[in-house]
Amino acid sequence: MKKFYYAVLFIFISTVSIYSQVSDYISSLRHGDAKEKSPLTITAELVQIEQISAINIAYKIFGENEYRKLEMLITGNSASVTLPQEAVIPPYIDYYLMIDLKDGTTHTYPEGIDQGVSTLQLAVSGVTEKDKEIIVLSPTDGEYLTPENLLISISFVKAPSDVDISKTKIFLNDAEVTSLALFAGELIVLSGESAEGSVPMGSSLLKIEVYDKEGNLYHTISKSFQVVTTEVFAEVSGRWKYFGNFRGESRSESYSSSSTWYNNLSADLNAEYESWNFNGYLYFTSEEKKHLQPYNRYAASIKNGDWLELRVGDTYPRFPNLILDGKRIRGVSGELNFGAFNIQAAYGETVRKIEGQLIRTYQAGEAPLGSNIIAIDEAKYNAPYGQVSLGMYSRNLLAIRPSFGSGENFQWGFTYLHSIDDKESVELGARPQENAVLGTDMKIAFDDQNFVITSQAAVSLHNTDISSGNLTDAQIDSIFGPGGYYDIDPDDVKKIRDIVGKVITVNQYIGPLNPQEFASLAGEAALNMNYLNNALRVSYIYRGNDYFSFGQSFLRTDVKGINVVDRIRMFDNKLFLSVGYENLEDNLQETKIATTKYQTINTSLSFFPRTNFPNVTVGFSRFDNNNDLNLKDTTYQRYVVDDITNRFFVQLSYDFIAGVRHNSSLSFTTQKRDDGSFSAVNSTYNSGTLTLNSYWNKQLSSIFQLIYSSTELERIGRIDDTTTAKKYDYIIEKTVQPYDYVTLTLGCKYKLLEDKLLLSATLSPSFGDFKRQALDFIADYNILANLSLAFQARIYRIPDKATNSIIGLVTRLTF
Amino acid sequence: MLKLKNILFAAGLVLLFGFYLGRGNKPSSDTPVALVKKIVKDVTYRPASDVSDWDAAKVGLPLNNGGEVKTGTKSLALVLFTDGSGLLKVRENSILHIYGEKKDKKLNKNTFIQKGLVGFDVNKQEEDEEFKFTTPSVVASIRGTNGFIEHNDLDSITTIFIERGDVGFITSNGSEGNVGSRRTARINPNGTFHVDSASVQDTTTFHRTNRTTIKKIKIQTRFGELEIEYEEQENGLLNGRRNREE
Repeated sequence: MKKFYYAVLFIFISTVSIYSQVSDYISSLRHGDAKEKSPLTITAELVQIEQISAINIAYKIFGENEYRKLEMLITGNSASVTLPQEAVIPPYIDYYLMIDLKDGTTHTYPEGIDQGVSTLQLAVSGVTEKDKEIIVLSPTDGEYLTPENLLISISFVKAPSDVDISKTKIFLNDAEVTSLALFAGELIVLSGESAEGSVPMGSSLLKIEVYDKEGNLYHTISKSFQVVTTEVFAEVSGRWKYFGNFRGESRSESYSSSSTWYNNLSADLNAEYESWNFNGYLYFTSEEKKHLQPYNRYAASIKNGDWLELRVGDTYPRFPNLILDGKRIRGVSGELNFGAFNIQAAYGETVRKIEGQLIRTYQAGEAPLGSNIIAIDEAKYNAPYGQVSLGMYSRNLLAIRPSFGSGENFQWGFTYLHSIDDKESVELGARPQENAVLGTDMKIAFDDQNFVITSQAAVSLHNTDISSGNLTDAQIDSIFGPGGYYDIDPDDVKKIRDIVGKVITVNQYIGPLNPQEFASLAGEAALNMNYLNNALRVSYIYRGNDYFSFGQSFLRTDVKGINVVDRIRMFDNKLFLSVGYENLEDNLQETKIATTKYQTINTSLSFFPRTNFPNVTVGFSRFDNNNDLNLKDTTYQRYVVDDITNRFFVQLSYDFIAGVRHNSSLSFTTQKRDDGSFSAVNSTYNSGTLTLNSYWNKQLSSIFQLIYSSTELERIGRIDDTTTAKKYDYIIEKTVQPYDYVTLTLGCKYKLLEDKLLLSATLSPSFGDFKRQALDFIADYNILANLSLAFQARIYRIPDKATNSIIGLVTRLTF
Repeated sequence: MLKLKNILFAAGLVLLFGFYLGRGNKPSSDTPVALVKKIVKDVTYRPASDVSDWDAAKVGLPLNNGGEVKTGTKSLALVLFTDGSGLLKVRENSILHIYGEKKDKKLNKNTFIQKGLVGFDVNKQEEDEEFKFTTPSVVASIRGTNGFIEHNDLDSITTIFIERGDVGFITSNGSEGNVGSRRTARINPNGTFHVDSASVQDTTTFHRTNRTTIKKIKIQTRFGELEIEYEEQENGLLNGRRNREE
C-alpha cells in the first residue's frame, strides 16, 4: 500500500492563457485548453478577498444573447468554476465575472461591462477533428501500466492522406524513442519488450509529433501515464481505489494599511468500488462568519453509473434551467434513472438565517415610513417600532422532477419547485417570501440525435410577503363582492384560496396579478439539426415579466423572440463558419413605456489549418437595441433606448518550434458603441494581447505577455436650447475620458532538486493611465512524494498610493 | 436440431468468408484491424484459420483481418480495435476471430466468437460504420454500448448482456430482436430468443468480465517459492487458485 501511495503523483494541469486586466479584486484568470464538448475550468486569482462575498461567472455560447450564470467556488485566494461541456462550443465563449462585495455593490471583470466594455472571449477549438484522426490507442491519460504490459500504440486509420506516418516522432519524457517502435501499415506499436530499459518507473510523459508529407508539424499529442510494479498495479487495479488530498493555508493579506490573516483547510476525497464512486469535499475557512452567508463548504456524494447519484451537503443541482440551475443548496439532492422512469429531487437551504440589528426605537405615532422601520417586540424593547438593519430569513427549497424516457430518443419530465422563507428564523426581519413553480419539459430525438427537439415551460407564483399568512374569510368578505373593492363572488375567492393555499400562501402580496396575460409563464422550444456539415439551431423563448423562480436567480424575464444559429464545417473541417441572429423584444405585458427590440448578429470564421500555420478566428458582432422613442419628446426622452454596438475581434494561436517549443497567441478586439439615448454614453474600446509560452527544457519554462488596452468614454450632455426657435433642439456638450494602459508580464518556472522544488516568478508592470507593479513568487517543495509545502508571495505596488501584499504558506498532503 | 446447428455454423462461416473475400476485392492494406493490449497467462494467436499452429501472443501484437485469438484456462486477452472504436475482453477458454474492412476512413468490424465469453466496451459508431458480433446463433450490431456476449459451444446458446445502451440482433432463423440496458437476451440454436431483465448472475458475470487484474501472492518455502495467482470474486472468496513450485 505504501508503494501505492508513492505511485500517486501530482498532476499539474497546464494553463494555456493568463489574462490580466485592471481590477481591484481579480489579479489574473487561468483556464485550461478549451476544446469542443469538454468541460472547461476557469480560475480567478483574487485580491482583497475580505471585501468579496460571492463571485459568479456570466457566460454565453456563440449566437446567444443571454448570459448564463454560475456561482464560482471560492477557496482561499482563488475562485473557480467548471463550465459544463454543452457550453464549450466553437467558435468561442463570451464571459465576464460578477463580483459581489460585502457592502452590497457589484463589480464586473473586466470592469465596466455595463458601460459597454467588451467581455472576454475564449476561443474554443474544434480540435476534436485532429484528435479523431490520429488515435492514441494506448496508453490512455493517467493509465497505470506495468513494464511487461507497457504498450504505446498510435493508429492512423482515420488520418488524412497528407499525413506522413513514417515521419512520426515519439518522445518519452523528452527522449526520442521512435527507433524502438514498429511501424505496421497505419499503426505504430511500441511495446514493453522493445522499450525495455528505456521507460523508467514512475510518471511518464508521452509526446507524439505527427508530420505531413512536406515535413510540417501537423499535430502534437501528449499523454501522461504511470509505469508501476506489478504489486502496485494490483493495488491500483483493485476493487477499491481511493485518492485524496488535504490542503492547509495560512495567508496574510495587506491592502491599504489594513492587514488580514486567513486560514483555510480543505480536503478532497475520492473512492471507487467497481462502478460505485464516492466523493467528499470539505473547506473550512476563517472567513466563515455568522453574520454572513456561509463561506465554509462541505459535500459528499455517491454515484453509480448513470442510474444513481446522491449528494449531501453543499450541492448544485441542475434541473430544467428555467426552474433550478446550479444554485447552491445545503441539503440533499440526487437522481435515480431507470430509463423508462426517472426521478430527480433536491431539498435544502439556499439562504442561511442572519439576525437583524436594532438601530433605534420609535414610540407609536413617531415611527416614520421606511422599508427598514418594522414592528418589534414592545415588551422586549420598550417600543413598538424600530429602525433595523434587516436580517435574512433562512430559505428552504424543495424541487422534484419525475421523468419518463431515458433521453436517448425521448424524455418527458415534470418539475415542481417550492421555496419558502422561515418566518420564525429571525426576529428582526421583514417581508418573508414564498415561491412555487410548476414546469414540464420534453425532448424528442431522431436519427441518432441528429434531429433533436427540446422544449420546456413553467409557471410561477411568487408571494413577496407571507408574514400575515393566508387571507382570512373576513378579509375576503370585506374586499370582494358587492360593496367591496372587487366585484367577485367572495365564495369563489375562498375556494381559490383553499386550493392554491395548499401550494403557496394566498394574500394580497401574491403574484402574478395578471395571469391571464401569461405574466408568470416562461417557455422555450428549440430545434437542433445536424446535417450536411451544418449544425443548425432554431429556438424561441417567452418569459413573462412576473416569472420568478428562487432556484434561478439570474434569468432574464420580460422577453420573447427567436434565435437562429448555424455552424458550418467546411473543407474537411478546416474551416468553421458560424452565423447567428437573434431578435428579442420586451414589454410583453405592456408594463413599460415602450417596447425595446434587441437585435443581435454574430458571425465568426475559424480556420484550423493542417499545415504549419496559425489557427485563426475572426468574429464580428452587432448589437442593436431600440425602442422607437424620440429624443425630442420631452415627456419620454429619458426613456429612449437607441444604441448600436459593433465588435470585431481576431484571435490567432500558433504552436511552433524555434530552437525550443513555443505556443503563442495573439488577439485583438475593437468595439464601438453609439448611444443615441438621453444619457448618450458612447464608448470605444480597443485591446490587444500577445502571449508567448516557451518550454526551454524539462526544468525551465517561461511566459511573455503584452496587453494593450484603450477605452474612451464619451459623454454627451443634452441641454434644452431656449435660444433658438426650435424648442426641442439641444446643445451638445461632449466630454471624452480616455483610459489607456499597457501591461507587460514576464515570468518563468524552474524545477530543481530533481524536480522536487518548483520556483515560479512573474513580474507584471502596467504603464499609462493605470500604473501598477505586480510581483508573484511561488516556491513549491515536495518534502515527500505525497507531501508538499508552498510559499506564495504577491506584491502589488500602486505608485504614490499603496503597496499591498499577500503572503501565504500552503501545505498539501496527497494519498 | 443438430443438423440445423451445423447448417447455421456453416452459413456463418460462409458469410464471414464472403466478408473476407469482399475485402480482397480492394487493394489489400497491411494495416492491422486490432492489436493485443494486454495478456494474462495463456494467450495464443494465429493469423488465419488455415494456419495450423497457434503461436504465443505478446502485448502489442497486431491482428490483421482474419486473425484469431485463443485464451487458455484462467487467461485473459484485451484486444483494441485500431480505429479506437472499442475494447474487447476475451475471457478464459475463448476463441475469437477478428475481421475488418476499411472503407474510406471507416473501419467495419466483425468479431466472430467461436466459443467463450467476451466483454465489450464499444464507443459510439459513426454513421455507416459497423461493429458486429457474430456467433453461430446470432449477428448483433453494436452502435455504442458495453456488456458481454457468451457463446457456449456445448449447447450453442448465445447470451447477450447489455449494461448500457442497446443492441439490435438477427438470429439464425431471421428473427430480429433488441436488448436494452441491464437486460439479457438468450438466443437458442434454432434462432428463437428470449429477452428479460438481467439476473444477478448476469450482472456478476459482467463485473467479472471487467476485472482484468490477477493478483499474486509469493510465499518463500524451504522447497522454493510458492506463487499463488488469484482473481478476487464478488464475495471476497478466491477464484482460480494455482500453485507453482520452483
